[in-house]
Parts: sequence; C-alpha cells; structure tokens
Amino acid sequence: MDRKWQLAVALVLITALFGGVLGGCGPADGVEEEEAKTLIVGLAQSVLTLDPAMHRDRTSETVIRNMFDGLVTRTPSMDIVPEIAESYTQLSPTEWEFKIREGITFHNGDPLTADDVEFTFMRILTEGAVDGQSSPRKGLLGSLLKVEKTDDYTVLFTFEEPWPIFLRMLPHQQIVPKNYIEEHGSEYFAENPVGAGPFKLVSAALDEEIVMERFDDYYGGSPEIPPVGPAHVDTAIFQIIPETSTRIAALQAGDVHIISNVPTHMVDQLEADPNIAVKTCTGTNFFSVSLDMEVYEPFKDVRVRKALNHAVDVDEIIATVMDGLAIRCPGPCIPGSFGYNDAITGYDYDLEKAKELLAEAGYPNGEGLSFVLDTQDAHKDTAEAIAQYIEETGIDVSVRVWDWGVLKPLLDEGGERAAVFSSWGNSTMEPHDLFEPKFVSKLDDVLGRGNYSRYSNPEFDELFFETTVLIDDNERIANYKKLQEILFEDAPVIFVYTPMVVEACSTQVERWEPSPDGRINLHRVGLKE
Amino acid sequence: MRLARILERILVAIPVMLGVAIVVFFFMRLSPGDPVDLMMGEAGSVSPREMEALAREFRLDEPLHMQLYHFLTDLLRGDLGNSFVKRKPVARLVREHLPATIELAFGALIISLVIAIPIGIISAVKQHSILDRVSMAGAFLGISMPAFWMGIVLILVFSVFWHVFPSHGRLPFAVGLKTITGFYTIDSILTGNWSALASTLKHLFLPSLTLGAGTAATVARMTRSSMLEVLRQDYIVLARAKGLTEYAVVVKHALRNALIPTVTIVALQIGTFLGGNMIVETVFGWPGLGRLVVDAIQRRDFPLVQGAVIVYALTFVAANLLADIIYTFVNPKIEL
Amino acid sequence: MKVNETSVHFAQASTSDRSPLQQHLYLLGIKLRLQRQNMGNFFQQLKRHPTALLGAIVVILYILMAIFAPLLVPHDPFTGILGNRILPPKWYEGGKPEYVLGCDELGRDLLSRIIYGARVSISVGLISVAVSTVIGVTTGIAAGYYRGWFDEIFSRFADLLLAFPFLIFALGVMVATGPGFWNLIFALCFKGWVEFFRLARGETLSEKTKEYVEAAKASGQGHLTIMLSEIMPNIIHSVIVLGTLRMGSLIITEASLSFLGLGVGTRIPAWGSMISSGRQYMMNAWWISTLPGMALLLLVLSINLLGEGLRDILDPRLKID
Repeated sequence: MDRKWQLAVALVLITALFGGVLGGCGPADGVEEEEAKTLIVGLAQSVLTLDPAMHRDRTSETVIRNMFDGLVTRTPSMDIVPEIAESYTQLSPTEWEFKIREGITFHNGDPLTADDVEFTFMRILTEGAVDGQSSPRKGLLGSLLKVEKTDDYTVLFTFEEPWPIFLRMLPHQQIVPKNYIEEHGSEYFAENPVGAGPFKLVSAALDEEIVMERFDDYYGGSPEIPPVGPAHVDTAIFQIIPETSTRIAALQAGDVHIISNVPTHMVDQLEADPNIAVKTCTGTNFFSVSLDMEVYEPFKDVRVRKALNHAVDVDEIIATVMDGLAIRCPGPCIPGSFGYNDAITGYDYDLEKAKELLAEAGYPNGEGLSFVLDTQDAHKDTAEAIAQYIEETGIDVSVRVWDWGVLKPLLDEGGERAAVFSSWGNSTMEPHDLFEPKFVSKLDDVLGRGNYSRYSNPEFDELFFETTVLIDDNERIANYKKLQEILFEDAPVIFVYTPMVVEACSTQVERWEPSPDGRINLHRVGLKE
Repeated sequence: MRLARILERILVAIPVMLGVAIVVFFFMRLSPGDPVDLMMGEAGSVSPREMEALAREFRLDEPLHMQLYHFLTDLLRGDLGNSFVKRKPVARLVREHLPATIELAFGALIISLVIAIPIGIISAVKQHSILDRVSMAGAFLGISMPAFWMGIVLILVFSVFWHVFPSHGRLPFAVGLKTITGFYTIDSILTGNWSALASTLKHLFLPSLTLGAGTAATVARMTRSSMLEVLRQDYIVLARAKGLTEYAVVVKHALRNALIPTVTIVALQIGTFLGGNMIVETVFGWPGLGRLVVDAIQRRDFPLVQGAVIVYALTFVAANLLADIIYTFVNPKIEL
Repeated sequence: MKVNETSVHFAQASTSDRSPLQQHLYLLGIKLRLQRQNMGNFFQQLKRHPTALLGAIVVILYILMAIFAPLLVPHDPFTGILGNRILPPKWYEGGKPEYVLGCDELGRDLLSRIIYGARVSISVGLISVAVSTVIGVTTGIAAGYYRGWFDEIFSRFADLLLAFPFLIFALGVMVATGPGFWNLIFALCFKGWVEFFRLARGETLSEKTKEYVEAAKASGQGHLTIMLSEIMPNIIHSVIVLGTLRMGSLIITEASLSFLGLGVGTRIPAWGSMISSGRQYMMNAWWISTLPGMALLLLVLSINLLGEGLRDILDPRLKID
C-alpha cells in the first residue's frame, strides 16, 4: 500500500478517537459588535450556573442578580427594601402576603405576575422540580411550606412555624419566568436565562466571561435605592480571573474596571495609583478559632479557653496581618448584627492573665498543653499569627494547612485535631443564622453543622430555640443579647474578627460601592467619558 | 506501517483507559470530603432533607459497588454523567473547555520550537564552546522555575509595566469573534476577522511562553544530540570534504535529518502540555480543562474529575500513537 | 508543571517493548547506553564540563547549607515579629541591617527561612527520587528478566499510571491523604517510580541478550546473582542520569502543589510554599516570593546541568574523539 495513503487513513483514525470529544466544540452563542460603554468586572471564582435555583455560591449569585431581581433586596447598609414586591405584610406569625409591582416584564417581554413568583418558590421547594434535579437552595427558605397566588399580583407565603429571619433571607431568591421555563425546560433556561433584572444575557462562558447588555424595558429597580431606571452602561462583562496577582495586574493595566477580593496589603499601593480607587465596607464572615472540647480534653476547662482568648492580641493582628482592614469581633457576633450586644468589649490582650488562668487550670507555663491549629491556605497568615501569640504562654502549637474538603469531615467526625481557625458566613447579619450552625449542640448533620468546638450548653440551646419562634423584635433583641453573654462567658472559640470587603475600581467608575455580602450590583454603576 | 498494527495499538489502549476510569473512580470516592456538604459551604440555613435529596440525586447514598456499576455502564454508553456543581453534562463541559486547552498546547509547542531549535543547532555546531554551554544552560532556565512564578513575573513585566501583552483571558468580547470551532485562531481565520486573530495571538503569547519554556530544554537537547550525530555521518564529512561552506553543510544537509527525532519528540510533548497546564491556566485566567479539573477536585465534583481525567488519558494515548505514526512515516525503515 | 521529559519519553513512547521512536533514538545513540567506567576517568571528564562541574559544586553547597541550617540561621525561621511584616531587605529604605534579606508577610526573617527551606526542598528531591528508583529499578529488572505475568501486570499498571496527568495525580493523592511531608513524598513516588521501571525494564531486555549474561548463565550463576551483579551495574549509570534529571522536576512539583494549595502544609519553611504564598506580594514586596524563587531556580538549574553533564559524560557515543 502507498505509504502516504496509509498515513492519511491512520490520521483519520486518530481524529476519530477525538471525534466524540471535540464534535461541535465551543460556545455556540454568537457575540455582537462593540458597544459604547462597556464595564468589565474581574471576579475571583468561576460562575457555576446561571439558574438562580441551582447553586449555593456567592459568585454565581453576584452575576445572577444582575440579570434577575428578587421580591426584596438589600440596600448598601443592609436594610431590606422591596424590589419586585411593591409591599409586604405579615398576616400571622406564619403567613406573609406580598403585593407584586405591576408592569414588570421579563427580558423576553412576558409580564411578571404572581404565577411566576409562586412557580419560582415551588420550583425550589419541590424535590426534583428542576428537570428531575433538586435545588440546593431549599434550606435558605427555612420552614416554608408553600407559596400560593391569591390574585394576579398577590402571593401568600405559608410557613410551618414562625421564622423571624425570613425577610433577611429573601434577597437570596430571584424570580424566574414560569412560562419560559415550562416551555423550554430548565437545561435550556440555564443556558439562555431570562429574568427581570437590569441586564440581559448576551453570551456566557462560565469559566471565562459572562457578557450582558442593558435591558431597556427594565422597571427601574427598587424605588428605595436611587437612581431608579435602566442600567447606565450598555454592556456589562464579568471576567473570571482566579489568580489574585493577575486580577490586580489586569486592573492596573486597564483591562478591567472593577475587581473583587483585593488582598489587604495591596491597598496602599493601589490607592497610590491615580487611576484606581479602593473601596471597602464591613464584611459578613465571622472568623474564630474553634476549640474542640470533645477531642482535646484540656479545652473542656473554661479557664483554658479564656486563657487562649486573653493570649491573642487580635487588635495587633488586625493592624499588621490584615493591614487594619478587619473589624474585631469581641464576642460571638459581627458588630452591627441584629441584636448586637455592645456591652461585650472582648477579652483584653493580657499575657499575664492568660498564664494565671492556665496555672489555675493546672497548666503552669502551658506545660502539658500541645495542639495543632488547622486552617485553610487562604487564612494561614492569621492562623500563624494566632499560633505565635499562643506560644508566648508556653503552649506548644503548630499550624497545619489543609484542603477544606479533607478538613471538613475531620471537623464533623472528630479525629486527630483540636483547634481550627475558620470562617462562617453570616450574610443576613442575624445571630440566628450564625448561632444555629456554630453554637447549638450537634444534634444531627445540620444543626451545629459548623459547631467545630462541639460546644453544648443546654441553657444556651433552650434560650436559642425559644428565640427562634419569637416574632417581637424587642424580645428577640433581649434574648440575643443574653445569648451573646452566655457564649462570651463560655468562650467556646477564640473570638477573632470579620474581614472587610475590599474591592477596587478604576476612577472612571461612578456610583459603585461594595456591599457587605460581597455582591457586585452593576445596575446603578456608570462610566465616565 | 500497517493499519492492523495501529488497530492493535488502539485495542490495547482500551483496557488501559478502563483501568484509568476505575482508578479515578476510587480515587475520588475514597478521598475524604462530602460533595453535598462542600456545596452547602460555610453557611447556615441548610436542611437535612435537602442534603439527603441531593445525595440521592447524585447516587451517593448507594453502596460503592453500585455507584461503580452505574458509572461504568454509563461510560460504556458514552455518558460521562452530570457535574454535581455545575449541573450540566460533563461531556459538554469538557467539549467547551478542551479547545482552549489544545490551543494553548499548540501555542506552547510552537514557542518551545522557536526557542529550542536554534539553540540546539548552535550548540551542536559549536560543541563544547562557551556558546554551547551558555545557550544550553539558558534552555534549562525555563524548566528550573515554577511555572506560576514565571507567569506572574511575565504578567508584571509585559502587561503592567510595558502594556505589551494582555494580562489574562483568551479574547476580549469587544473584538466580536463568531465562534465556530472553539479554536479562536482558526475561527478568526475562517471568518476573516483579522483583528480577532491579532488579539487571539497576543492573548496566547504569555501563557504559551510560560508553558513552552519548560519544554524548550528537552527539545533543545534533542536537537543538539541528533545534530551532533548527523554531523558525524559520512555524507556530511563528504560534503565538508567537497569544500561546501559550513552554512550549506549545516542547513542544507544536516538540519533536515537532524530534525526528524525532534519533530517526533515534540509530538509526544503534546500529551505533557495537555496534562501540565492547569497552573498556567489558573495564572492567566485561561478557561481550559486544567482549571476546570483542579476546581472540580477541590469541590469533589466526582463526575467532572472522572470525565476530565478520562479525556486527558485518551489524549495522552492518542498523542503517543500519533508520534509513532509520524515517526514511522518519516523513517520507512522502521516498522510500527 | 514542567518536567524533564526526554528520558521519560523513551520509555513512554509505546505500549510495546520498544516503539519505533525509541528504536530511532537508540540508533542515534541518544538512548542512554552506558558502560562501566572507572571513577578516575569520570572526574577527569567532569572537569571538561564546566557547567556540570559548577552544577555539582552548587548542589554540594546547597546540601551543606541544608545540613548545617540550624547553625547558619541568624534568626528564628519559624516565629517572627508581626511589626516586621514585609520588611524590605537591608539595602532598601526602611530595611533593618539585622534582617539582611528583609522579612516575610508574618515578620519572619527571610534569609533564615530560605536557609531552612533548603532542607525540605532537598529532602523532597532526594527521598522521592531514592524511593522511586529503588521501587522502579527492582521491579523493572525483574520484569525485564523474568517477563511473563509479572512483567505483564507491572507494565499494564505502568501504562495506566502514565496516562494520568502527573499533577492531577499528585493533587489527588494529596487531597486523599492530607498535607504533610511524608504524604507529599508518597504523592510524588506513587507515579514517580514508573519512569524508572520503564527504563530499567528496557535496559534489562537489551542487556539480557548480551554475551556476558549468557556466559554468567552458562557458568551456573543464579538468577538473583545475574540480576544484581551482572545486569544492575550495566544499567545503573542511566538510572543515575534519569534520577538526577527527575530530582529537579520533583522539587518544582512541590512548589506547584503549594500553588494549588496543597504543599507540605506545616510551619516548616519550604521554598515552594514560600514562593507560592509570597506571590500575592509580588507588586509591593517582590523579595518575599522572588528570593526563595531564586534559591530554587539556582538549585534546580544546577541539578539539571549536573544531570546533563552526567548524560554527556556517561554516554560514550557523544564523546568527541
């Protein structure tokens, strides 16, 4: 046989090997010509999906909420205001009624009615409702039983039991179009999402960039957050740039306008750049060192736990390791939370006191105490600093950095570990949302899901569950203050800080402020020139 | 080369691929870490019913052997399953990300050749000279530093300080390229969009250089060795004796033969490039398969890791086979 | 990840005993065919390779630095003073003379950490190469010598491991076993032995047919004796060359894994994790990442130049007459 011919056949065979893999590669969506004003945002993580019901991910939510609006939203100061809803009333402890704003349309021109709201929530509540898959957002709706339309622009939410944080949780849910999804299916919807938000999708490669253009028929957004009206830029683009150094370089080179997750030590240098503005706001992540009382015997003694709290100079850590861009949490809540107890001023940094307490507990100069402080790569600087302080008391501490996926099962099941420095999200700024996973006794997989201290105090649990079903805000505040005192005295963790949200933008960008939940809403953002 | 021999090679690869599939299956399932728990993240408001429903949907509640059975039967039907986290068919995710990875691999290949072949030739012609030593040592630079570090340095120098090359990504949206194959270089040529082609190449340059620099040493060494060997052959000695200039001897006579092994070793490098670029992809925000799989490992997205590793292995086997086929083609004396 | 792939690829090229590519390279004499040489000759040769000699000297200096690290460090490499966070080297404005190379993000003396870091990097290289070599060469010689089911099983297993991208594999092992020095070694060796296996097996297959093996058999020597005292000395040089070249890439892999968040994972300073965690400071404190990077670069470059020199010296076909 002719050699060249043989080669040709051979190459075809090889190509066939790839055929199945490569067939019809790449995103099929066409892209359009350049528009007048294009705003580009550099995000640190990939977007997982564009279906509002199918993720549990802040980055995805950030992008989704530029295309979808919710019944209510948060102001930059974390107040809840109506968005798609015109008004809402609580009819009974377990019933809420929402009036929907009239005249809102989805990107495809369909009007938004009570049917869409009912559909949105029932799609999350019902198992397997998303093309046979279940939404992972059910837990964000508490004990919600059902959502019913009472007329074209009114819906009724019914709960199994009172759930006081409902309104604060509600901004996490975005309204999706019923007819569109029923017609095309959820898989198509995730590729070609249609919402009622300020931007509509142009093209999406979720690990690369998501391009959106202004939705001209937008109803204007929440009247409580001016300016109301359509978005100010023609095109908004989210680009995924995972490496921090690259993200900053992209901003400095002028390739992007806004970047998320700026490391604190870069702030001075970025601020020195006349073309760049750094913006900060309070964050919603609660950082603490959980002291596992079941796994490591000495932590059972409250004096040891208090000694550790006295041994760590949190203010100095904030000033150095965090470059001043974190807020100390003197007690078990983020300052500014609902029902925050400002009578708690925290454990002072006092090495002598710490040593005394240790001596009282039977560990003079930390003798006999030796443990490992676990953490993730992203938090290891602070963990190291904490360990350095603890070592001053004579205790032998070493830091170990883990992949979170490996560490998590150890935290849940016990094993060779004692303390962990970790973060817990509290984007509602409700103590309920923090206490339930972090400090309530571990009863099942979910209650106490983040209770890495294995803290269990019946007095605390009782008062907590009592508070859960209270409706009156004054009573709730009083109870939360009491709960904070109990936790402060028991010190199941070393109370550390909440880092600020640090983002940076080009000075061309107008009217943009970071939000405490780390969300980047581009509706009101403009570009100069 | 006989077709039967190629078919045999492909058949032999099947059990290997199956083994890879099984190994990656157990690898993921036996690592600590619960995908559903990780998906819920560090946040409250999680209901136990919800977690059970997801575990059931992902078939994580079934015994391991049943999970393996489902995985293998689906695989034989060509179904790689659905990603836990992205909720999309794995085959589609792989298909969307593979072109970027392959394009980067070819970019790296070309750059490593451009660096390495001249170095290899000069080193061989001037064997044992200072030039030989220094240029070979230079070729080793790329292999001697971590790729992520080199990438960041390149971005700082070329994007931030000099503004010559873009810092990240494959192509800005504004260029407006209509994608057909997913390979942006090919697409821009097909649609005649020359500004897109220029932009694509600019975006490709720094990541390709980072990835390719590591291979330059290998290729340079190969070129040097084969060049040395060829220069000692009788016909070269004869050519020299006839009084041809050194340039004519090297370029016209020796180079062609000397490049044969270089070309084949380069084909083999494709496999390395494909499997080794997750770091370069992360640094340059390159939306390829490597980044996808690293992310999937951290999130314990079992189906996605399984699918990606199978595709990698397939590519590796195919690249090796390709190298051998090209090789036998240029060297008729040898049977496959 | 960057790896020294040449020698590896001879072995990887095919699932058959020797692929055409390997045959070609073999004919070209690039394949590592090494003869027993006397050591005096070897050192003379080394002198003629200035880069390899330089590499050898640097590697020896590094090893000495690692061994005597506790005596050499000016400060405590593990604990720092937070006030010294990202302190510049002493020649910069704001630097302190007692901290010659400045301090890292937690105020630890960078020079001390770089000196200590040599311990992890060099141990990672040496131990993982040693373990890979022992496992790979033992099984490789046995497989090449006995053939049969033993060879079949190991060869298929090797094919399977080779088809895995190395970094994904190492990442997977690290995820499964958790962080730590020995887990890292385990992750590196789990696949690292394969290249040595393929090399040793291939060499054994060709040595086996040679006269001296036949002669040894005829004189009634046992299999074990033949493998150990006849075949092994004839293939050990190529193993040494491969080992040297692999060591460099394994040290780099430690850094790559740190970049992906899975390094040694303890307080012990390791160059890989220093470069990786310092990279965020590249724009305002370049020294935190760049200086350990330089230390690593110099070591790996020296190892590679040494390996390259060994290859030239030990491969008789490439000698000039």
